[in-house]
Amino acid sequence: MKGFEYYAPETLDAAVEILARYGEGAYPVAGGTDLIPKMRYGHVAPQAVVNLKRIPGLNRITSLENGGLHVGALVTLTQLSREALVRERYPVVAHIAGKMASAQVRNLATVGGNLCNAAPSADLAPPLIALDAEALIVGPEGERRVPLEHFFTGPGATVLGPGELLTAVLLPPPQPHTRAMYIKHAHREALDIAIVGVAALVRLAPGTATCQGARIVLGAVAPTPIRAREAEALLEGAPLTEEHIAEAGRLAAQAARPIDDVRGSAWYRRKMVDVLTRRAIAGTRGEGGDLT
Amino acid sequence: MCAFSYIGKRIPKPDAVEKATGRVIYGHDLKVPRMLHAKVLRSPLPHAHILHVDTSRAERLPGVKAVITADDFPPRRFGFAKDRTPLTGDKVRRVGDEVAAVAAVDEETAEEALELIRVEYEPLPAVFDPEEALKPDAPLIHEERGSNLFRHQEYVHGNPDRALDEADVVVEDVFELGYMQPTPLETCFCLAAFDPSGRLTVWSTTQIPFLLQRDLAEALGIPGHHIRIIQTAIGGGFGRGLDMYSFEPICVWLARKAGRPVRLAFTRQEEFIAAECRQPMRIWSRAGAMKDGRLWVRDVKVLLDNGAYVSWGTVTTLVFMETVGSLYRVPHARMVSDSVYTNNPITGAVRGFGNPQSTFVVETQMDRLAEAIGMDPLEFRLRNANRPFEETPQGIKVTSCGLKECLEAVAERIGWKHRHERRPQEGPVRRGIGIAATMNVGGGARIYRSDGCGAIVKVDDFGQVTVMTGATEIGQGSDVIVAQIVAEELGIPPETILIVNNDTALTPWDVGVHASRTTFIAGNAALIAAREVKRQILETAEELLEAAAEDLELRDGFVVVRGSPERRVPFDKVVRARHFRQGGEVIVGHGWYDPPNEMVGADGKGNISAAYGFGAQAIEVEVDLETGKVKPLRVISAHDVGRAINPMYVEGQIEGGVVMGLGYALLEELQVREGRVLNPTLLDYRLLTALDAPQIESVIIETDDPEGPFGAKGVGEMGTNPTAAAVANAIYDAVGVRITQLPITPERVLRAVESRK
Repeated sequence: MKGFEYYAPETLDAAVEILARYGEGAYPVAGGTDLIPKMRYGHVAPQAVVNLKRIPGLNRITSLENGGLHVGALVTLTQLSREALVRERYPVVAHIAGKMASAQVRNLATVGGNLCNAAPSADLAPPLIALDAEALIVGPEGERRVPLEHFFTGPGATVLGPGELLTAVLLPPPQPHTRAMYIKHAHREALDIAIVGVAALVRLAPGTATCQGARIVLGAVAPTPIRAREAEALLEGAPLTEEHIAEAGRLAAQAARPIDDVRGSAWYRRKMVDVLTRRAIAGTRGEGGDLT
Repeated sequence: MCAFSYIGKRIPKPDAVEKATGRVIYGHDLKVPRMLHAKVLRSPLPHAHILHVDTSRAERLPGVKAVITADDFPPRRFGFAKDRTPLTGDKVRRVGDEVAAVAAVDEETAEEALELIRVEYEPLPAVFDPEEALKPDAPLIHEERGSNLFRHQEYVHGNPDRALDEADVVVEDVFELGYMQPTPLETCFCLAAFDPSGRLTVWSTTQIPFLLQRDLAEALGIPGHHIRIIQTAIGGGFGRGLDMYSFEPICVWLARKAGRPVRLAFTRQEEFIAAECRQPMRIWSRAGAMKDGRLWVRDVKVLLDNGAYVSWGTVTTLVFMETVGSLYRVPHARMVSDSVYTNNPITGAVRGFGNPQSTFVVETQMDRLAEAIGMDPLEFRLRNANRPFEETPQGIKVTSCGLKECLEAVAERIGWKHRHERRPQEGPVRRGIGIAATMNVGGGARIYRSDGCGAIVKVDDFGQVTVMTGATEIGQGSDVIVAQIVAEELGIPPETILIVNNDTALTPWDVGVHASRTTFIAGNAALIAAREVKRQILETAEELLEAAAEDLELRDGFVVVRGSPERRVPFDKVVRARHFRQGGEVIVGHGWYDPPNEMVGADGKGNISAAYGFGAQAIEVEVDLETGKVKPLRVISAHDVGRAINPMYVEGQIEGGVVMGLGYALLEELQVREGRVLNPTLLDYRLLTALDAPQIESVIIETDDPEGPFGAKGVGEMGTNPTAAAVANAIYDAVGVRITQLPITPERVLRAVESRK
């Protein structure tokens, strides 16, 4: 590992100032579960490492007035999986947060880190995008909000500019009659990266099986997490029949732009998008699967 | 059966708590004064001439104490085929080939120095497929050999050609087996230091201390008796430590040049790239049977990819041959194998040593033959099972044999008879049960001039018994096994016995920890030494108790007159009585055991082991037809171990073996493209986690082997041998597809399911 400058600012302003000063040479660090191995393997060589953990308030989960949730960027995966507010309002998020990586890593790894690392396979992204979450960003120009769907720009790349920091994820209030499910398909039960991840969110018209709104979000099958908009459009206003679900699976598979890598071939990934989309949608109806 | 005091007892490992709580000092933890840190510069190319190596800038970097290249070494070769040098000077033959090395005051400086070394390469055409490597115009990996074929072997008994015509049914398959890494948690490690008189001490994670001593002497021209190998606490072996690697002579030579102790430890990435892995194999296999249920013939051709250099791993074909020729009674068998050089990663020994590969082939085809003749696969196996005290046409002399009992035990416990009654016939997730058996050397394996091990038992004035054994403890529990054997003979609690096992300067010779041989060989050696100690004690006790030796017994730390328990004398008092007198002597017993086995001949025949272990597994799996994912649900593993000296350790070996076998079957694959490892991390080279491991039930079958210590045979590798076959057979049972490629990834299952449609 190469030498670097180390900073541990105690305010957001100070952090932003340091990050802006170093530009691309600066790397914020929280849990370090992504950054430190990358430095060890020589994949990145930061000029400056900026520890965010001294900044107060970034590790809190708070209820918003509108019934939504403010999840600080430094909230750990363990916190996210155990927090009652998350478990009650967005069980799909709590559930996957408790299954990512390993217990030791979850105690360190943060929500902000998982998102800013911007791996196409990041497990938090599909369910959060399905929930219409927003990224709260602070930078030299002040604060801005970006729908999480538009936060990612490529593998390892986000909309964050020089000096900008992700400070929180904002979750809108849970919608009635809405259920979501995220399926992570991996080789192992733990300590693994998704071959494919699919989140489905379905809002039903009260007392019916007719879909009023849907989100289908795919992980690990494109340079960023993507929405399968044609599949969503098909479901909206339609009854959730086997035929519709099957067609949604096909459309989602078409939307995927997978590659071959050590975890799976493009052929297999596309197949799995179809299967998992169907299973995730069916899962939201409570028909088997692990409903969250 | 006579009752034992300590044999068969579940005595916990004394190091278990220390290891679980992180207090054990491993090699990686060692620090000695003035110690330097070494790093190795490796080739980024699979095949290239080295035109020039410039180390001048690295040498000038502050903190660098020694830089070496091939020119620093005497012109000597090492390795199984003497095809390697510690650093390569003329050309590189694989990605990861060692080109130069640096010792510096810390690892960061050593790494920085590597970046300053300039190597000019001239790339050469490379060959990555063993079939391509055998073609006449293929690039030669070792020009002086004139061919990439390292070894061609043929084995035959009976008349396979005629038998294939005669057989009522013949099945034929091609198998593709991938790279598996032994993946011990502790990576390769070496610490080398010369004392002022020029004697060398090496602290090492080796499994072969005495052969390492010899190999280092040969590679470096240092007299063997000036080399002392000390084994550190070893964080897993699984066969990784069976060869000397380049890094060991490199580390020694850096220590010599720098005049300071040098430590060299692999990163995990280096471990995946530069440590040996299991040979990939392509196998063409035919097997035939008669309609009445007689197994009739096997005809197998194996193409083995050695990689760029040959190691002991190339001998895996001998073990492969045993399964082909002698697992079940088979009147006709042939095996032809070619071991081939390529520009791929180097391969070597991994637990099972050819047996998981051969068992996968043989037991897959046993299932297929049973189906072809319409017989239950269990019944077909029982009908052809090896029997006790029979000699196979291969010259393998089976002594104790519990194969039938193992098969029956696993079938009974998994519910074989009713396996098709309750399982789901609809929906994407199906269940199936598969069965497979194994035969493994269990009484040593003579692949070296000596298959022996020595032991010295000494008793001090306080009655303390110390055993110096050649056996290597690599976590399997051999220290306690040896102690239990000595304890039983001397009538003292095994917990009180000290074991010295890790230093070539103190312990008698042993060929190494491999071939599931330690309990059998080191156990017998310790038993012989303990008997000698017992004889000496009884001789003195005769005088003290005024009773004849045959009326005395050793029990609970006393010598007791049989039938008169009040007439007894404490063990330590006997020792002192023998010692402190005119013409007295201290109590020391020596044992050497070299088993009555033989080297396999050029024709592939011979009794390689003094006893054979047998085992069977039944595995239940769940297969998802839509994703191809296979989930093992339950494993029953029964093993004939002769006698379980410590049933807890036997179960530990079986469970560990099963988990490793499931890794081979389903998950573990070093992905290599054009000689490069694509997944050199524990994230993408997947071992099972606790969450992936199913319920494992071990069944111990005892057959009391006549040659084994207290009847015991080896068990170290057996648990891992039949697993992949049992999983593949279970998948077939569940969804009707035959997978002949390892590991059985979801994608491979899905492709098979889809191509069946």
